[in-house]
Amino acid sequence: MAEQDWKQQKRPFAAVSTLPLLWTLLFFLLPMGFVWFYSFGRNAGLTEIDIVGTLDNYKRATEWLYLGIFLKSLAVAALVTLICLIVGFPVAMAITFVSEKWRPWLLLGIMLPFWTNLLIRTYALMIVLGQQGYANQGLEALWSGASWLKTLIGLQPLSTWEPAPLLYNNFAVVLGLVYVHLPFMVLPLYSALDRLDKSLIEASLDLGAGHFRTLMKIIVPLAAPGIIAGVMITLIPALGAYLTPDLMGGTDSQMIANVIERQFKRANDWPFGAALSFLLIYAMFILIAMQGLRKKPGGDAR
Amino acid sequence: MAFFKRTAHAPLEYSKSLWMRGWVALVMLFLYIPLFVLMAFSFNDSKRNVVWRGFTTKYYGIAWENAQLWDAMMNSLTIAFFATIFSLIIGSMAAVMLWRFRFPFKSAVDGTMSLPIIVPEICLGVAFLVFFSWIGWPSGLVWPINLGAIIIAHITFCFPFVTMVVRARLASFNREQEEAAKDLGASEWQAFRDVLVPHIKPALVSGALLAFTLSLDDFVITFFTSTPGTDTFPVLVYSLVKRGVTPDVNAASTILILLTVLLTAVALKLQGAKALADTH
Amino acid sequence: MDLKTLLQAGGDRRSLLKGMGVAAIGLSFGGGLAGCSQEAGKKLANGEDGTLNLYNWDDYMGETTLADFKGAAGVDVKMDLFDNNDTLFAKFRAGNPGYDLIVPTNDFVERMVSADMLQKIDKAQIPNLKNIAPEFIDVDYDKGRQYSVPYTWLVLGIGYRKSKLASPPDSWKLLFDSDQYKGRIAVLSEAGDMFRLYAKYLGKSVNDITPADVKIIEALMIKQKPHIAKFHSDDGQDLLAKGEVDLVLEYNGDIAQLMAEDDDIAFAIPKEGSQLNSDNFCIPKGAKHPKNAHAFINFVLDAQHGKKVTETILYPTPNAAVKALMPDSYKNNPATYPPADQLAKCEYAKFNPDLQPLFEEAFTRVGAA
Repeated sequence: MAEQDWKQQKRPFAAVSTLPLLWTLLFFLLPMGFVWFYSFGRNAGLTEIDIVGTLDNYKRATEWLYLGIFLKSLAVAALVTLICLIVGFPVAMAITFVSEKWRPWLLLGIMLPFWTNLLIRTYALMIVLGQQGYANQGLEALWSGASWLKTLIGLQPLSTWEPAPLLYNNFAVVLGLVYVHLPFMVLPLYSALDRLDKSLIEASLDLGAGHFRTLMKIIVPLAAPGIIAGVMITLIPALGAYLTPDLMGGTDSQMIANVIERQFKRANDWPFGAALSFLLIYAMFILIAMQGLRKKPGGDAR
Repeated sequence: MAFFKRTAHAPLEYSKSLWMRGWVALVMLFLYIPLFVLMAFSFNDSKRNVVWRGFTTKYYGIAWENAQLWDAMMNSLTIAFFATIFSLIIGSMAAVMLWRFRFPFKSAVDGTMSLPIIVPEICLGVAFLVFFSWIGWPSGLVWPINLGAIIIAHITFCFPFVTMVVRARLASFNREQEEAAKDLGASEWQAFRDVLVPHIKPALVSGALLAFTLSLDDFVITFFTSTPGTDTFPVLVYSLVKRGVTPDVNAASTILILLTVLLTAVALKLQGAKALADTH
Repeated sequence: MDLKTLLQAGGDRRSLLKGMGVAAIGLSFGGGLAGCSQEAGKKLANGEDGTLNLYNWDDYMGETTLADFKGAAGVDVKMDLFDNNDTLFAKFRAGNPGYDLIVPTNDFVERMVSADMLQKIDKAQIPNLKNIAPEFIDVDYDKGRQYSVPYTWLVLGIGYRKSKLASPPDSWKLLFDSDQYKGRIAVLSEAGDMFRLYAKYLGKSVNDITPADVKIIEALMIKQKPHIAKFHSDDGQDLLAKGEVDLVLEYNGDIAQLMAEDDDIAFAIPKEGSQLNSDNFCIPKGAKHPKNAHAFINFVLDAQHGKKVTETILYPTPNAAVKALMPDSYKNNPATYPPADQLAKCEYAKFNPDLQPLFEEAFTRVGAA
């Protein structure tokens, strides 16, 4: 279905566009405008910023030190998104295909943990993962069980158990981020899958395609808009995560958001923090706008 | 909308297949183990939340008496409530605008509206700090008007999430239905209300859940937009970090979790599980 | 008008408005702008309404102190909480959001004074200042105590698990330059504190660091990094309690609290000396209830009421009258009150705006290395 030209539909267009556009202008672009100006400024004293039109902040922000951290954060966020997609897709399918009586309970089941404060949940997760935490206790029990089995069949027992380092490293950061961002993937997937025309799947199965082929050839393409939305709202916030790397990460787990946060707080260097933030913003803006441009010629892509 | 009424077909009963059930069970286990630990530690007889030192229910008493805690909860829920409603309205409007119309600078508008998701929290927080101080936002107003600045900030970073989800759903909308409704004499508004809105209902539910969750959990932006007397639950909790999270916060969280489950159960019972389930 | 002047004018207009607001309150004895506020109406003898907006750390007030003060002075204290000095400072950069009393740490007192954020304290309104031990009145970070009144003090040191260490730690070397306790060490994530303590380890004053030293220390940190388990954000006592690490760089007050629960924990100040910190009451500019704030400070400095605070928070107190009233178990705790000869080697850190960005960038490099 082609998009309509706004000129032919002025009143409906005005009805839906006025509020979002005004809001974005007033309560997003205007506040961010201040920070944007800061990114071309220089600290003059402790609280004053001279807007001198310098590009020094951007020059510093594109140094390899910061680019490296950015690339590493991107890699972590991409990995987290991928894991969320793999873990979340079957869950979204389950919500879609479950009986209507159970669906609200499944939805609630996914969301409920996230209505508990992030910090409290993260602390609880850290109790589970610690050196003497429950995960390690479980692993130790398995280990000694395996050791016992080996002696049972006359082999040497396993070496003594060393607690697995589940916390304060990059593994913990990825695990923590998956934990935090899973619903951001499941919800868009569910809302996209929910509209699937089930007869297509039936047809595919009737025609002899296996479940896996049906999944890849029918379900995934039909769920594509949901997958894209899910990837966007998982990847981008994961890229901006600062609490999880801070609390669960080790000595080399800092992510770009931690660095940005430090500029605004400890370093008291707002111009540089602004420049770092805006580099991130420019990159994303270009990405999103390009996606829009790419689709435009077709006209009916959305 | 009974458009695709589901008929029970054996091949489609994915929810009955063993691996699917196992998978969902594993994911739930992953999500809930920390929550159970949290609940268990609300009975821990230690001021610090890290090592088990014996059973006590005293922290429920302490949490119950802690007026600051409940004030903060109330503030958080109020903010999340308003932020969710307005995010839903603004977010779906933006989605419909971007999906249906062709207008100048559309790609730029599209990109801009997604930006609040990518802007680092601290950056948006500072932006709002400077902004509200520049317009001279008054402090010391009566509750809940004193939460206004925080609500505005929350709407700004919540509504793009709604837009994304709703737009993904709109992609599947069959415009002919709307045209048919209009041919039958429905006005633009009636067609919107009776045809389009029912179609995007699952996305509205997802979007509302996302917005509510995001608002409820936000710390940084709230911190920078708060004035005296507007501490929210996350702001309270983050100030605990220096001295460690104490079990009374766990106790309060446990009460909140149980309350949520109970309220949902009652709501579902009352409505015959219709409200959330009937998304078709 | 170009945008630059517009931005600056914006800031000016706001402070002008605020100034006018304060003046209006002063003129009408608290009338004026208070019209739309929550506590309008009731006036105290000092001309202010019965409110005090206190911005404090968590768990940093006596259990009944706020209620007691309401009973004594009729002032309703509304306490909000902040989580660290950096966020406190960042929030006040755009102007006082409405607080009457804040509790920054010593270097941030200096910072906020030089940023012109604080009012002078009127000592005539705080007779209980006499209770403060003299060594806490005469401090470098606020000469003559013009802007701040000390509330607690702290010293950084090594908290450790006795059963896991061969001998009590006596040098920063164990944390900063040794693999003896590889993977069992946690240090602070606060760049400034880390660089200053490394300077101590290298035999320098915490306030004598040069950019060349920063380079040297950065190299040392990168060398030591593989042996460090965690850069913690001041929750090191939890890491120690959980058994995640056996040695942790922390404040004595935090370790003292843990020692009360766990006999296997102890605290030591290394022989090279360490860094002192002190949290202080300050009245920010633009406070609407400065008299109530003074009255509250005076109330907390009172021996009996101060004792109740110290009994709750168990931190070292600069208040000699309060300390005298406390039981021996508190007074003689070597973690809370380390021996005088050790304390003599400790210094307050001076706020240094030029070095702070260098610390941060170097620490970012350490994290990325």
